[in-house]
Amino acid sequence: MNRALSLFISLLKNWIRSKSGVFFSVLFPIMLLLIFSTVFGGQEAVEYTLHVQNDDMVDGNATATSEGFIQALDSAESLNVKEVDNITEHREERTFGSYRGLRIKEGFNESAVNKSIELRMKVIRDTMRRANFTEDGFLDETNESDLENFTAESAEIVLLLSEDDQGAPMVKGTLHGVINSFNSRMLGLEENDSTVEVTEEMRDERGLQPVDYYLPGFIAAFIMTNGIIGVTSNISEYKRNGTMKRLTATPLKKRDWILANVGQQTVLAFSLTAVMILVAVLVFGAQAHLGPYAIGLIFLGSVAFCSVGIVLGGLIKDVEAASGAGNAIAFPMMFLSGAFIPIETFPDYLQTVARFLPLFYFHQGLREIMIFQNPSDAFLAYLIIGIFASIFIMLAIKTTRWKDI
Amino acid sequence: MARKVIRVKDLTKEYDGTTAVKEISFQVKEGEIFSLVGPNGAGKTTTVEILECLREPTSGEATVLGHDISDEAEKIKEKIGVMPQDFNTFDRLTAEENIKLMGDLYGSNNVEEIMKKVGVDKFKNKKFADLSGGMKTKVGIGMTLISNADLLFLDEPTTGLDPHARRETWNLIKDLKRMGKTVFLTTHYMEEVESLSDRAAILIDGEIEVLDSIENLIDQHGGGIKVRVLEDGRAVEIIHDKADEVLEGEDGTLTGIFDSKKEARQALIKLFQLDSKVEVQDAGMDEVFIRLTGGKIDEGGELV
Repeated sequence: MNRALSLFISLLKNWIRSKSGVFFSVLFPIMLLLIFSTVFGGQEAVEYTLHVQNDDMVDGNATATSEGFIQALDSAESLNVKEVDNITEHREERTFGSYRGLRIKEGFNESAVNKSIELRMKVIRDTMRRANFTEDGFLDETNESDLENFTAESAEIVLLLSEDDQGAPMVKGTLHGVINSFNSRMLGLEENDSTVEVTEEMRDERGLQPVDYYLPGFIAAFIMTNGIIGVTSNISEYKRNGTMKRLTATPLKKRDWILANVGQQTVLAFSLTAVMILVAVLVFGAQAHLGPYAIGLIFLGSVAFCSVGIVLGGLIKDVEAASGAGNAIAFPMMFLSGAFIPIETFPDYLQTVARFLPLFYFHQGLREIMIFQNPSDAFLAYLIIGIFASIFIMLAIKTTRWKDI
Repeated sequence: MARKVIRVKDLTKEYDGTTAVKEISFQVKEGEIFSLVGPNGAGKTTTVEILECLREPTSGEATVLGHDISDEAEKIKEKIGVMPQDFNTFDRLTAEENIKLMGDLYGSNNVEEIMKKVGVDKFKNKKFADLSGGMKTKVGIGMTLISNADLLFLDEPTTGLDPHARRETWNLIKDLKRMGKTVFLTTHYMEEVESLSDRAAILIDGEIEVLDSIENLIDQHGGGIKVRVLEDGRAVEIIHDKADEVLEGEDGTLTGIFDSKKEARQALIKLFQLDSKVEVQDAGMDEVFIRLTGGKIDEGGELV
């Protein structure tokens, strides 16, 4: 045990003094967490640019109604309106990204006014019917007929969108909202005239933010990469440069070697977790809690993935091949497990693939414990990572060569 | 009679159909420096690593300090000190930290004493990666000595070192003998063998060509002592009279080859009495190797 402890301290010192090792094990994950949480944490402020071509002109000037409609569009929070002369030509100048254009056709003003008159009449007729005015003689048949006979064409606008534009539903929804408001105003209703009134209640608590999703995902993913890529590379390098032979020639036992490596990775995992939580809380106000259940799962995870690294390092002789094998396993797992992106956004078959990956259960379990504070829902994660760790620690003992290195 | 600390009998090692070591047998006596000498690929490292319990032999038997290498590896590893070929250790640990780690693995704590003994104390706080080749070798010997073992295996400890560092390492190895340690040395430097060893075995293609004390090897296979006279007259007569073989040089000088040191000494006494100008060239391990194998080992360890 003392031998394992001494080797563990030496491995740790050797790692801490490696600038690139510390960068890729701790600082790089923190950088990614900051980038992801910043970039994807500001979605509520997204604006969609809408290019508007106004053809409703009189004597070279835009009509008042079309101007008012454009102003109404521009006042919508999610739209950034830009007026252009010709959306077709303007669209052709662009080569990248989705283009959203709106053309207000000529006669918009006249049609909108006439249509509003028709609608007003419709409203009056409907109002009188509802009040049984005809039965009381306030309205004669002739007048009612006049109202029935007045019709007008709707004002026309053309919305131009791309089929693959993910922002299209948002733009369409906003546009219909603006049109409804516009209709109301054309009918003479004020902004506050509504049959339904919305009362906003602000609760004094913080909702979940993107960082709350990313934090457990990043902790789990980088404990996995440090184990699989880091340990595999280290062991194959120790084998190549003769350090491993130096150690195997001493009374050090194979179990001491495995214990020391697992110990080093566990300390690294907890250091990474502590620093990431600190950064996430201080910078983004993340609501992560590191209790005994989280500590237990992090320990199991670091044992599991470090053991995978020991197995690969033990089986593969060549340094480059070992490093390649580590990368080939770790990177697909990192992205397919949903550590960075919720698997609900994946196609069905990829969601199935994710459920076969141990990292999926690791980050899901950590999220349940650290963010939702619901350790009972992390039982499956504990079970699967525990079984995975047990299998690979046995494989590590089996595949680590202490002779003929 | 000195105790045999290593006994090897018919040891063979094959790798994928290639025989690296072929049925070699030898014994190493307590307190001696025993050298296994040969070119690259001769089987030196394979042999030493089998004795260090780092490799399994294909067949044959060996005991180290009385323990069988096939089933008492743990006991052997606790009792021997090893400096492997192309020795390396944790790059970012200091010289002292690396020696201390080895001390912890062997359960010994005389780090300061060992560092002083091998001269590591002068650079103990330098990281291993920043050390010169000679300094690294000193750390390696320190890491071997901290085992406090009486039997030390040094596998090509001076390969790649500059002449100064090599000489320093030789002095350290001589000190080990003075401390009463048994040293099993592998090398391809004949000068090193001659300077350090009590006995040596020449290994070629996995087989031992010859094994004896350095003195006997030179006496029996060195080709004798060469005495070259640089003048005519009486000195020439003495050479013709006493030498076992006489060679005439292109420059007109005469060289007498004496198989026996005694004969050579008698001839030299007479030549000195005549105040003759002579050059004496004693045979060495280089000559032994050349005469036995027909080849020579270059600086890189290759047989040429």
